[in-house]
Order: sequence, then structure tokens, then C-alpha cells
Amino acid sequence: MTEFYAWMRESLQNLAYDGVLPLSFQYGFVINAVFCALLIGPVLGGVGTMVVVKRMAFFSQAIGNAAMTGVAIGVLLGESYTEPYVSMFSFCILFGLILNYTKGRTAISSDTLIGVFLSISLAVGASLLLFVSARVNTHILEAVLFGSVLTVSDTDINVLLVVTIAALGVGVPLFNRFLLASLNPSLARVRGVRVRVLEYVFVLLITILTVACLKIVGAVLVEALLLIPAAAARNVIRSMKGFVFLSMAISTISCIAGVVVPMQFDLPLPSGGAIIMVAAGFFLLTMIVRMTFSRLREVEA
Amino acid sequence: MRGPSIRFDNVGLQLGGVDILSTVSFAVGSGEIHCLIGPNGGGKTSLVRCLLGQMPHSGTIDVGWDENRTIGYVPQLLDFDKTLPVTVNDFLAMVCQKRRPAFVGMSKATRATSDAVLDRVGLIGKGKTKLGSLSGGERQRVLFAQALIPAPALLVLDEPMTSMDEVGVERFASVIRELAADGVTILWIAHNLAQVREMAHSVSCIKRTLLFSGPPSEVLAELGAEALFSSLGMANFEAMST
Repeated sequence: MTEFYAWMRESLQNLAYDGVLPLSFQYGFVINAVFCALLIGPVLGGVGTMVVVKRMAFFSQAIGNAAMTGVAIGVLLGESYTEPYVSMFSFCILFGLILNYTKGRTAISSDTLIGVFLSISLAVGASLLLFVSARVNTHILEAVLFGSVLTVSDTDINVLLVVTIAALGVGVPLFNRFLLASLNPSLARVRGVRVRVLEYVFVLLITILTVACLKIVGAVLVEALLLIPAAAARNVIRSMKGFVFLSMAISTISCIAGVVVPMQFDLPLPSGGAIIMVAAGFFLLTMIVRMTFSRLREVEA
Repeated sequence: MRGPSIRFDNVGLQLGGVDILSTVSFAVGSGEIHCLIGPNGGGKTSLVRCLLGQMPHSGTIDVGWDENRTIGYVPQLLDFDKTLPVTVNDFLAMVCQKRRPAFVGMSKATRATSDAVLDRVGLIGKGKTKLGSLSGGERQRVLFAQALIPAPALLVLDEPMTSMDEVGVERFASVIRELAADGVTILWIAHNLAQVREMAHSVSCIKRTLLFSGPPSEVLAELGAEALFSSLGMANFEAMST
């Protein structure tokens, strides 16, 4: 794969030198980041629709915060501070499973419980990160929090590729069951859906996606990329087909624009922040469209 | 086709140390319309959940299946965000298609079946309407429609007509009669006693335990204890009495 990535970078860099692509593509790390954006954009946009339907936006925020703890633990255990995937995946998966297990065994409402876990993960993550910040370059910590195109490596692309394929392999065939289980668990069970098992599968899906996207979007903002494109699509769409595909399109465009535009115009923005600002622009646009059409309908009526 | 017979034998259910159901025993004949009545919180839905294998219970529930083992289930309501972009067709695709995701649409076979059941429940032409834009009664008809795919041998209805208008109720009653004539066994949690009297072959009254079970005419005699049915309302009681 490394040779393929090298070939891809060289080809695209040549196109940039020839003026076919924007000049920012002359940098290999930009091409890496764009490739990652092309992977995470459609997947997060698609999975985001399920997150919105299942009302689990805050869960991915909690996982993002847990990833900070995962990074700190990785650094403390001597893992590479640029790619601490073993500790990040291990800690976040454990965190997600415990959260879901607790959710199924307590009378506390789901959002309250997630809020408690989110706060704990933020407190522990922030404390540990400050503790380990003396040992590593603090820019690494910024990259974890807000995303950075500068640090995307071939390993990161490989991780994203594997996670994307796994997410598609799980998310597409189980899409109907995920949604039905959240709309009416009792009906889903009668229809042969194993609701409890699916809850865990969905939690794992969100967890691995969140962790894999950290390098580009950042721990603080990854939840927003799951939520905003789907919310923007929902403003103007009436069917599931439009909902999923528009959400994927908004997410993909936001990711690519968020990576390329700051580089192209030399803006001092972290990629995560830029991606979310573009997505937020789409949200505002769709809100305006929705409000305009609502008023037109009222006038016609 | 013959629907299954069902025998509840000494069924009990405890949740958090509280008796939800105790010593419930009655039988439902094959192809029968059997109504479960009783006050709110009396354990009717819990009993149905026990039958559907969704609650751990004591005692036994024997279902005498024939060849077709399909259960159609109409839940009381669909609790969802009404602004979600989910159309009636999306919902039916979600419920009826196992592998093909709803966002790529329905297969031709599912489309034909779903159009047929929507026609049957009086919602033809509503396939592209958002679920959240439907009235409560129309949404209940959609829930009824999904229970008919694939053709059930046992139909379990949990207060399916709560928000239906007269047209919906008539359509619903006519489909129920057709299904019963086809031999489908129907277990129906109902609150409208006039309707129970008109349509049910047998009735069981549940209030944590079985109060009585039998043909609607016999059950009527027992309804002297109308205080038990305060939640059903006197209008209901009077409708049943006439």
C-alpha cells in the first residue's frame, strides 16, 4: 500500500505543478489528508444519519473525549505518540462497551448517563494529557484535540481504510435493523432483530469510526461531523434516500474543503475546525432554504 | 391456512419484586379473534410481551403452530422524532427488507407487497408521505400494514385503534374480519367494549390476574363489577350493555 500511496502522491503532485489541481496539492501531506477526507466524509455522513435517528450524538462526543485519555495512556505506556492506535482503540472500545452496558442496567435516562460519562472522560483525558504534555511536542496534543493535516501518515490512511471498509460492511446490511431497533424495539424483536446485540455493534461502529477520524477532525469536533451534515440534510429532505445521500455529500464536501481551503489560502486553521465550519455553513444554508419554503407555503395557503 | 392455538398456563411475571401478572391461565382457539380487556396497568401488554418471548415469565405459554409461524405485531405507538425524513415507504422497506437498506429504496417485490397492504388499510397513495406528517390514526394504519407483511398466522394487536377516525376503524375492522375468515389467530388488546362485543369470538379480562375469560356475552354478565373498568369509562360499559 505504501508504494501505491507514494505513486498516488507523485501523480497528484505532478497535476498540481501542471496547474490542473490547486497548488496546495504539491504537498504530500495535503494529498494524504484529502484521501482521508474522501474516506471519512461519505462514511461519517451516512453513519451520522443513523446517529441522528438513534439520538446518539453525545455518545460519539463521549468517545472523542475518551480518545484523549487513550492517547495519554498510550504515551505513558511508551506507544508512539503520533500513532497511539492500540491504546486509543482499546480504551475507547472498553469505554463504549461499559457505557452501553451501564445504559442497559440503570433507570437513569440515556442522555444523563452519557453526559456523566462524557464529563468523566473529559476530566480524565484533559488531566492525563496535561500530565503527559511535558513528555511530547504540545502540537501533538493540539492535533488530537482539533485535528491536523500535517501529521497524517500512511499508517493513518491504512487505519482509516480498514475502518471504512468495516463500517460499510456492517452499516449497510444492518442499516434497516439499526433504525427499526431504535424506532420500536418491541416490533424489531418480533421481526427477528437482536436489539441488544445490535446496540453493542452500533456502539463499536461509532467508536472505531470516531477513533479513526481523530487525526483529521480531532477529538473535540468529531461528534459535530457525525451530527451536522445529517442535521443539515434533514432540514430540506423528506425521504430516507435523500437524507442519507445528501448527508454523505455535505460531509464529504466539508471534509475536502476543510482540508484544502486553509492550505490553499494559507489560513491558520486546524483541519477539524475548518471542516466543521464548512459543515455549519451548509447547515445554515439548509435552514434558510427550509425557512424560505415554509414561508412561501404559508403565503400560498 | 390455520393460525396457531395458544394456551397460557399459570403465567406469572415479576418485575423489580412487584407482581405484574400472576396465575394467568386461558386458551385462544386457532383462527379465533380473542380480545384482552382490562384497566390500564393491568398487565395486558406485559402478557403479550411474554407471548412474544420478550419478558421472562413463570408458567408456560404453548403455541400450537401449523406450517406458517409468522407473527404480525402491531405496537401501541411509534415513538419517534416526527421531523425525521422517513416516508411510509421507507418505514415499510426498513421493516420488511432484511438486507437491502431503506435508503436505496424498495425492491420490486417489496414495492408490490407494500402497495397491496397500503391499499388494504386504505393508505394507497400515501407511500411517499413523511411518517411524521401523518395523523396519529394514519400512523397506526401504517403499523397495521407492516404487520401484514408477510402474511401472518398469528396477529398480535396492542390497542391498534386508539387514534383512528371512523373510516380507519371501519377499514381496520373489515381487514380483521377478512384475516379471521382466512384462519389467522388474532390476539387483540382492546379498550372499546362495543367493538369487542361485535368482533371478538372470546374475551379475557386481565387485572394482574385473570378475572374471567369466555365468550363476549358471558363476559358482559361479569361486567357488573364495573368499578374494575373505571379506566374504560362508563360510555364503554353502556355500549357493551346495549
